[in-house]
Amino acid sequence: MNRTLALVLGAIIVIAAALLPLWIGPFYTRVAQLFFFSAGMAIAWNILGGFSGYWSFGHTVFIGMGAFSAAHIVHRLGPLGDGPLSMIVPILLAGLICGLFAAILAYPILRLRGIYFAIAMLGVSQVVGELVNNVSWFQGGIGVFLQTPVPSGTTPEDFFYYIFGGLLLLCFLISIAVRNSRFGYALLSIREDEDTAMMLGVATERYKIMAFVLSATLVGIMGSVYGYSVGYFTTYTVFRLDFSLNLIVFCLIGGIGTLFGPIIGTAVMLFITQVLLSRFLDIHLLITGAMVVAIILLMPGGIIGALRSRKRQANQVEPVEAEARA
Amino acid sequence: MTEVILSGRGVTKSFRGLTAIENVDFEIPAGAIFGLIGPNGAGKSTLFNLITGYYPLTGGEIRFKGEDTSGLPTYRRNQAGIARAFQISKPFPALTVRENVRVGAMFGRPGGSQPKNVVNEALAIAGLEELADRTAEGLTVGSLRKLEIARAYATRPSLLLADEPCAGLNPIETEEMVNCLRKVRERGTTVWLVEHDMKAVTSVCDRILVIDAGQKIAEGTPQEIVADPKVISAYLGEPLEEQAS
Ligand SMILES: Nc1ncnc2c1ncn2[C@@H]1O[C@H](COP(=O)(O)OP(=O)(O)O)[C@@H](O)[C@H]1O
Ligand SMILES: [Mg+2]
Repeated sequence: MNRTLALVLGAIIVIAAALLPLWIGPFYTRVAQLFFFSAGMAIAWNILGGFSGYWSFGHTVFIGMGAFSAAHIVHRLGPLGDGPLSMIVPILLAGLICGLFAAILAYPILRLRGIYFAIAMLGVSQVVGELVNNVSWFQGGIGVFLQTPVPSGTTPEDFFYYIFGGLLLLCFLISIAVRNSRFGYALLSIREDEDTAMMLGVATERYKIMAFVLSATLVGIMGSVYGYSVGYFTTYTVFRLDFSLNLIVFCLIGGIGTLFGPIIGTAVMLFITQVLLSRFLDIHLLITGAMVVAIILLMPGGIIGALRSRKRQANQVEPVEAEARA
Repeated sequence: MTEVILSGRGVTKSFRGLTAIENVDFEIPAGAIFGLIGPNGAGKSTLFNLITGYYPLTGGEIRFKGEDTSGLPTYRRNQAGIARAFQISKPFPALTVRENVRVGAMFGRPGGSQPKNVVNEALAIAGLEELADRTAEGLTVGSLRKLEIARAYATRPSLLLADEPCAGLNPIETEEMVNCLRKVRERGTTVWLVEHDMKAVTSVCDRILVIDAGQKIAEGTPQEIVADPKVISAYLGEPLEEQAS
């Protein structure tokens, strides 16, 4: 595709997003913030689930672990720097902790394939959630505070809007870099056929672990920022099955394994649930569920998949005939 | 004396009591097109699975270029130079033909050194240029078999294990495949070929190894093999040409 055009478009979108809070109210700033947060995590989920085909049903474990790590780092180690550093350092450490946890977990759990891995991750998220809730040291039951050093002259809405926006951009750029690298091809080949990938020289174990650790680190970082943005949270605020499932739904709707799918899927679903259905909170889940089923039945490849197959149909009449001779 | 690229001593594999390969010895000379034949279930695919490290050996040893391969994971054996084309095609369905081949080119060597034109060369050898930008999903059996070879070739192997690349192909496609394997050999890759079509095997192979029920029963030039009473009796009741499934 045209690189310059993509860069110019990208720059315009980033600048427009940077100016947006000037003329939308706090409500929509918060919706946008939720969108950035969710889309960033969907992208991180997609690096593992979409590229390598290892669907995790328990990614909320990294949101929770990120948030609680940041809180305990701040409370137990005291301030680790002044000004912005007092927030940046705990966030990075939280990401590191999640990445390490994933690296340790990877060895046993990434040997499981398909639905077994998915369910094992669900189990991991439940177990860790229960531990954080019941082991008093973690204070998951009574909850923890995380105070944000919001710069003067900024509202918390705007502050987190920019942080989550930046993180979304970071995740997106990382995802592009991964997809176009050797690492990305390794992940795709693992998704398509892991045994064949091995036979072609792909060090499948190593690349799976790398994808898992990268995904966990990114979600951990976003989870810790989420912890800051809510200020006070318990186990149930951050270890949430619906977080885990939403990430998958967003990717499915937009187009799993694609670069833009997670962003588009998140945008569509949040627009429907937060904007269109915001006045019908009682039937909101019902309609969302029905929508998900409908979209998946009608567009198995998600929105991106549907757009692509339309394009392919237009292009591919000839080669199909060439194939027919056999 | 020609150099031996792959050798096996007492190669044995059992699956919970069933001995699929029993005490098989072999020496594959570098530069050859070597044949491997035997009735269905004889253990041919299993032998290839042992050479690529997909299954661990129960007994014996396999040496590649003089080095013991035990302990090397499958991907390292590929990077060392052993490639394999599957009997049942295993494409990466959602990727294009070119991307399928590119995976082989990218990972076939440690560190990922990748000559620029190896993908195109592999596509050309297999005659897949026209289909390069199609997704592998929905290719015909013939094209899928070519893709198996192209992808394996792109890893720049010194030994290609081709497991029934002609199964299910019509005579024209079989001819194309045989020519393709000849080209692979001309470019310096030793080929070990499993094939049921005796006409194809005897025309293309320098030497042939015959196994039956997991055991080596004969080895020799194509002329020696077709005249060997043990080989004839292993195939008794099933005309040699019609073994293909
Ligand atoms: N993974 C396995 N588990 C158990 N038995 C196997 C396995 N793979 C192959 N076999 C058995 O080993 C024997 C040889 O099979 P195979 O190597 O596929 O034969 P061929 O390729 O010569 O037709 C068969 O009896 C088959 O059932
Ligand atoms: Mg076989």
